[in-house]
Amino acid sequence: MSYSVLALLILLLPAAGAILLAGRGWRLPRIVTQIVGPGVVWAAFVVTVVLFFNQVNGDFTYWTWIKSGSFEVPFNLLIDNLSLFMCLVITGVGGLIVTYSVGYMAHEDGPSYARFFTYMDVFIFSMLLLVLAGNFVFLIVGWALVGLSSYFLIGFWYERRSAVLAARKAFVMNVVGDVGMILGAFVVFVQFHSLTFAGVFRGLVHGCAPTLSCIFGPVPDSGMIELAAFLLLVGAVAKSAQLPLHTWLPDAMEGPTPVSALIHAATMVTAGVYLVGRMHPIYDVAVYAHGAVAIVGAVTALFAATIAIVQTDIKRVLAYSTMSQIGYMFLAVGIGAYSAGFFHLLSHAFFKALLFMAAGNVIHAMHDEQDMRKYGGLWGQLRPTSIMFLIGALSLVGAIPFVGFFSKEGILGAAFSRPGNLGLTVWGIGFVTALITGLYTGRMWWMSFAGKPSAQRPVEHPHEAPPVMLIPVAVLAVLATVGGLIQTRALGIGPSLVSDYLDRVVTGQSWEESSFAVYIGLVTMLVAGLLFLAAYRMRPLTARFPWAQRVLEHKYYFDELYNAVFVRTLDRAADVGFRDVETPIIDGSLAGAGTRTTWAASYASLLQTGYVRNYTLVFVAGAVIVAVLLLARFAS
Amino acid sequence: MGKLDIGGSQLDTSWFLLLGAILFTLGTVGVLVRRNPLIILISIELMLNAVNLTLIAFSRQLENIEGQLFALMTMTVAAAEAVVGLAILVDIFRVRDLEDIDDLSELKG
Repeated sequence: MSYSVLALLILLLPAAGAILLAGRGWRLPRIVTQIVGPGVVWAAFVVTVVLFFNQVNGDFTYWTWIKSGSFEVPFNLLIDNLSLFMCLVITGVGGLIVTYSVGYMAHEDGPSYARFFTYMDVFIFSMLLLVLAGNFVFLIVGWALVGLSSYFLIGFWYERRSAVLAARKAFVMNVVGDVGMILGAFVVFVQFHSLTFAGVFRGLVHGCAPTLSCIFGPVPDSGMIELAAFLLLVGAVAKSAQLPLHTWLPDAMEGPTPVSALIHAATMVTAGVYLVGRMHPIYDVAVYAHGAVAIVGAVTALFAATIAIVQTDIKRVLAYSTMSQIGYMFLAVGIGAYSAGFFHLLSHAFFKALLFMAAGNVIHAMHDEQDMRKYGGLWGQLRPTSIMFLIGALSLVGAIPFVGFFSKEGILGAAFSRPGNLGLTVWGIGFVTALITGLYTGRMWWMSFAGKPSAQRPVEHPHEAPPVMLIPVAVLAVLATVGGLIQTRALGIGPSLVSDYLDRVVTGQSWEESSFAVYIGLVTMLVAGLLFLAAYRMRPLTARFPWAQRVLEHKYYFDELYNAVFVRTLDRAADVGFRDVETPIIDGSLAGAGTRTTWAASYASLLQTGYVRNYTLVFVAGAVIVAVLLLARFAS
Repeated sequence: MGKLDIGGSQLDTSWFLLLGAILFTLGTVGVLVRRNPLIILISIELMLNAVNLTLIAFSRQLENIEGQLFALMTMTVAAAEAVVGLAILVDIFRVRDLEDIDDLSELKG
């Protein structure tokens, strides 16, 4: 089978699964859903692995989607190291999470059960389309579809008002980003007269549109390219929950926990990082937009980490830490250390999916209680889950030898050694964030698992999760423990498989990491690890600064600000529109036309007497008048 | 004014036209003032035949056969009209207890 068919198959398998489950799923026996739902994702994983080991590279065009004059959009899939890397993460981690869902969603009734796996498969399909698309049109289609499936899954329990509101919020925020993406694509088309990545990047490198003969060198930075890069950044920021379009992600935790693990930690929210990586020729040229990526990432990393200190809902702590870690990735791709950012994407997918699913086990055992203050003492009762959660937490903190250490050190080291002020600035922010990460992760760990069981705990003797939920978590725990060994460059020795693989596609890091940076990295992670331990006694500390606690508990008042500025303004405008425009003018004119007609008709109907002779009289009178007029005409 | 030859004697056309006009007016008045549906139908026949008379008178005066053909046509239509009109009347009488045509005033506004 040719590779182009295999590439298409990656997309078609999850789509076929979704269609099957959507159409007949809930009428078929439950076992079919349990096999088809995760099965198609695993099948896509196998196909991806085949392409990966055959080192397939290519831009496969299947057919022309739109053709109008010189404007042409093909349906093409771009298979290169970056898209295959993303596909491996999506289908691999996705497969584990969808398998986990078989157990986690077990108490849902038939239709809901099938609906859940339909949505999951739709999501996997959309995400794969996003990373495989070879042109801007299908990138945007995938981009919008992942937003849509995220909306479906956040609002999965649609009987809950809070879930529906959270889903709506996520959708609106994402559409803000989609608009940015679409405008960015317009600007790119105006500039390069092409919408395929190949055409645009060729134009960037050779300095002219691909249809003209190319004689110039690389294009210099220009206002248009900066504009395109900034507009694409708006899309990336909204999808990846970075400042200032981040408020939807914590609320998205209303969705089922596997959804949080898959969409709101491992894959969809990293789409922004992928976008910047995929658009690296543009960002390499647009230096201001590129710097903005790094600064947005660094600020978000710190911002989200501070909020995570005071959250009490275990999933919300994880949500804020996700924002924070994606901030790291933005930081990395923003300073040009693309492969470091993507390695962190991979490691984050491992340990954050692990943390979410382990948290899911805890929530499952606690009968849907998510407040950490009501846990306590789970170490003795949920031993396997506790161990795996600890592995994830240590990886998140960046303890040696877990995968998080290598990836985070890679980013911080690259930022520290980068010549120029930008690198040092974002390194400083990243350094502080790394310490805070140790603090909040430690707090979460000690609160949930250590000490004595809380008096308010809903379940006295919790039961450990079934194997179908434990095994995927265990696989991820192993990956989070040994995954770092594929890229140990942080220590100056050992392999660097990820960066070797990706540097063939994205721009390589143009500077060497200094050995001094490695020592600093080691110390950073050591201090973070100590803070993890010290967090055991953190409660009295936060209680000493009540004002700070209040600000953090209100998440820096972003929701309040957006409510005041956008939501209430729009509500008021809608009120005015309803009261002063809709009711009096539109409703009034329509109803008025009706009543006036009835009123006029009530008088006109008096002409109808119902007597045949009256009608005849009018008829005869008319005939006489016509006859007189004719006579008068002939007479004159 | 032309003269028409009727059985050897000459008669002015205007007499025929006058008779037609009188008959037509009588028919019209009959339709307007009478309430018995049968009388109304008869009045309509009267109007039609008044027109026929006029047509034939002109046909003779102008020595053109078309007027007579037209009169034949009118008779055919009159026969059809009488059939339909009477059929409707019979049907109405069957379902309604009708005193005169003024009882049929459902369309009164």
